[in-house]
Amino acid sequence: MTLKTELSLIDAIKASRRQFLIGTGAALAGTALSRPAIAAGGEVTIISDLGNADQRAVLERLAGEFTKKTGTKVTINNMDHEAHKTAIRSYLVVGAPDICFWFSGNRMKAFVDRGLFDDISDLFQKEGYSEKLGVTKGAVTVGGKQYGLPLGGILWGLFYRKDVFDDKGWTAPKTWDDFMKLGAAAKSAGMIPVSMGTKETWPTGGWFDHMNLRINGLEKHMALMEGKISYTDPMLKPVFDKWEELIKADFFSPNGPSFGWEQAGAALAQKKAAMMDLGSFIKYAFPAADQAQLAFAPFPEIVPGVERYEDFSVNSVHIPAKAKNKQGARDFFAYMYQPENLGAFLEAEGTIPPRNDCPPSKDPMVNAAVESLKTVKGTSQYYDRDTDPDMAQDGMKGFQEFMLKPDRRDQILARLEKTRARIFK
Amino acid sequence: MFPRPLPEEKPLQRGLYVGFVALILILWLLPLFAVMLTASKTADEIMAGQYWTWPKHFNLIENFQAVFAQTNMWGYFINSLIITLPSVLLVLVFSTLTGYVLARYNFKGNALVFALFVGGNFLPAQIMMIPVRDLMVSVGLYDTYLALIIFHVAFQTGFATLFMRNFIAALPDELFQAARAEGASPWQTLRHVVIPLMRPALAALAILTFTFVWNDYFWAIVLTQSDAVKPVTAGLNNLRGEWTSAWNIVAAATLFVAVPPVTMFFLMQKHFIAGLTMGAVKG
Amino acid sequence: MSELWKRHRNWLAPLLFIAPGALLFGTIIIASSFESVWISFFDWDGVGPKTWAGLANYRELFADPQFYVSLKNNVIWLVMFMAAPPLGLALALLVNQQVAGMRFLKSLFFIPLVLATVTVGVVFGWVYDPNYGLLALIFNLFGATAPALLADEHAVTFAVVVAALWPQIAFCMVLFLAGLNNLSPDIIGAGRVDGARGWNMLWHVVLPQLRQVGFIALAVTVVGALRSFDMIAVMTSGGPFGSSEVLAYQMYEQSIFSYRFGYGAAIATVLFAIMIVFITWYLRMMVRLEKETR
Repeated sequence: MTLKTELSLIDAIKASRRQFLIGTGAALAGTALSRPAIAAGGEVTIISDLGNADQRAVLERLAGEFTKKTGTKVTINNMDHEAHKTAIRSYLVVGAPDICFWFSGNRMKAFVDRGLFDDISDLFQKEGYSEKLGVTKGAVTVGGKQYGLPLGGILWGLFYRKDVFDDKGWTAPKTWDDFMKLGAAAKSAGMIPVSMGTKETWPTGGWFDHMNLRINGLEKHMALMEGKISYTDPMLKPVFDKWEELIKADFFSPNGPSFGWEQAGAALAQKKAAMMDLGSFIKYAFPAADQAQLAFAPFPEIVPGVERYEDFSVNSVHIPAKAKNKQGARDFFAYMYQPENLGAFLEAEGTIPPRNDCPPSKDPMVNAAVESLKTVKGTSQYYDRDTDPDMAQDGMKGFQEFMLKPDRRDQILARLEKTRARIFK
Repeated sequence: MFPRPLPEEKPLQRGLYVGFVALILILWLLPLFAVMLTASKTADEIMAGQYWTWPKHFNLIENFQAVFAQTNMWGYFINSLIITLPSVLLVLVFSTLTGYVLARYNFKGNALVFALFVGGNFLPAQIMMIPVRDLMVSVGLYDTYLALIIFHVAFQTGFATLFMRNFIAALPDELFQAARAEGASPWQTLRHVVIPLMRPALAALAILTFTFVWNDYFWAIVLTQSDAVKPVTAGLNNLRGEWTSAWNIVAAATLFVAVPPVTMFFLMQKHFIAGLTMGAVKG
Repeated sequence: MSELWKRHRNWLAPLLFIAPGALLFGTIIIASSFESVWISFFDWDGVGPKTWAGLANYRELFADPQFYVSLKNNVIWLVMFMAAPPLGLALALLVNQQVAGMRFLKSLFFIPLVLATVTVGVVFGWVYDPNYGLLALIFNLFGATAPALLADEHAVTFAVVVAALWPQIAFCMVLFLAGLNNLSPDIIGAGRVDGARGWNMLWHVVLPQLRQVGFIALAVTVVGALRSFDMIAVMTSGGPFGSSEVLAYQMYEQSIFSYRFGYGAAIATVLFAIMIVFITWYLRMMVRLEKETR
């Protein structure tokens, strides 16, 4: 046994002792307030931000089954995704539920650093999750400890219509040259090469990620995300040069800021555009009958020799540090995370399971992504998940401006650099 | 058009007038028709960008069913009533009192107090978010109906005070001189002179306060977290997804959520004509 | 006791009347506002510890080009929003007749104010959509291409304000409806005896009596223009690249998305300072006009 695992074992024991004390405290408090006998099994409250009705239904089903098995009452409070981002900063501080939904990676770390998420390494040990999780374990790990359970992942890349590509005799671009040629072919066929709606600025962040990962690689990209590299660094010059080349060649939808990704997706579905950079949820922009035509291709190689790194964003569930029933929350996690339960939960939204022992998906898009992930060397999450939220806000606004006014590049980058210098002191 | 009354003996003219108003109304409500059109469509049509076409497949009933199937709309609806009705009542009471004093008593600092009421009303909500939340946590009201009621009453009292003060200030002075001459106490003056004359104003204020409190979502997010106390706007927003929103279903929910304030307006209108028919000045 | 009350009731009663409203408003709204001014001197993410920043937030704000864009847009909002009170008055005059069915029609005029902003914003967004929007359809009829208003940094604010005016006009309409029903019929009757009719009657008899309610409409319109951010959030998210932001939106963005509560509070303080200028002018004018009419 290595020193490291020993240490984490000790930590786990410590944590469980703390857990016990808290548990006893909670139990005492419970009796003191003379709770009704029905609540003897305790209660677990969950705040979810699930927008997908099918997925909410699965969660409710699991909660019901859990209650039947253990007698623990489960209350699910649901919020919409955007409002939840505001609310979580409130409730983690002042009145936490026992389980909450959030994002792994940097956004999770922000709360871990402030001591707002509970260390659940003990649960990882007990349930042996480490062996079952692949790359996603890293996304919930800070300083060697785990602070959440990864849920479904989204692999970002290019999507296109198989029938259009077959019809025109096109193939998914593998290299930058292929990509440029395909764009030219699309334009001469009267199509927009890359559909992109930037009303919400995030699609620009993803595009930047892909280009930067293909040109500078994961390590430098993450250094930039963590504020260790300047936005005026020469390494970014080829990224913006290449991007400008595309903009000037009219690769992207005109008037991008007037619409969101849904309208951009509709353009792809209606064969007005050739490709689109998104996650598997692009299928929602397609009529049911056309969904079978959707195909995935990784973003093309730009600099030969740079390994394949991708944006792979993973949502997660956590136990707030101020939760009242941490043991109950762990029990529920263990139940929800059983391969078939987790599989059913993720199948409802079509995301990629983090466990390698989940039943195979019925969704061909998920299976294609799982296949594709096998050749990925390393993953980032997404621009607005990897960097500081304040930086992301300014960064994506800058990219949006760049896509409209590429001539303002220096000005924009100087502004981003100012923001970076302010945030990452 | 007002102030010229429509002659009662000319039904044709009256009919034409109503027709004209209806025409203006149709133009005025074009965006609403778009919402109704959206609520009658399938998600596929909207995703395909067919916003302004007639629904291919009439889906209104299914969309409403989806609203109630996907989120506990009735529960939220009841919560909204529990939050809104007392809030409106308290706002009316408090603002009548403050408005009366500020309009009719010329004490030192009157202008300053009034300025604070008006000024506080100008504040953007986000900036009070954390202080108000911390206050509610410290008094143990976080995540309760009461937190929302207390906040809404406090916040709306600012606007309502401006409203009531100006309406009461518009009453003729002779009214109050007469009341004083008869030896009426301040309470009697308020009760028997001011309030009866304020019925149309109070009705309008009730409608507006009801609407603002009913439509609030921001404070519901800041001050509560349990579905058990969240208002109907939370149900509406629950229908929005992380990546996609089924706008047809959201539009249906919007129509549902809008029903109570519009009903309230309809019911409150009977007080609107009160001022005219009563022959206001009873001096 | 009752003797004491009688002697002092003329000042005790008003004090008791104003106490509940003033205490509630003071402890929750006014106190919180001062607290947020205090926050503007700190660097704070809303969760962790606050660090004293002195005037740094203000210095940064005044050096931020976005601040001036927002300020300019606030002026556009203010100017365009001034259309709401007269249009609201026009609607109120239009429906203020006692005819069968009018009650129902009146209620429908009120609808824009009650529809959820998110839905109204989305629907107006569909008006402006350059590919599938109503505007595009109309332009296509004439064989022209519709301008992409929401992607144009110079046009975007105007397009958003038009959408925001819709509920605001309904708001003003309700105020004027209440005002019209508070008119003294004696004065109107007297005006009629003097031979005032139609436009004359409106201008010389009715409008002066609506002055107080006009003041309320002016105030809520200014508040609406300065405080609203939700329509922007739904329609453009402040874009393209911040060119449709106003101060209230910038503050919302900074505190909610960027988690910079200190900076957001600084923006709010500046916004509030601007409003104080308006409030001072507003109250002085109101009091002066009241004295004239009495």
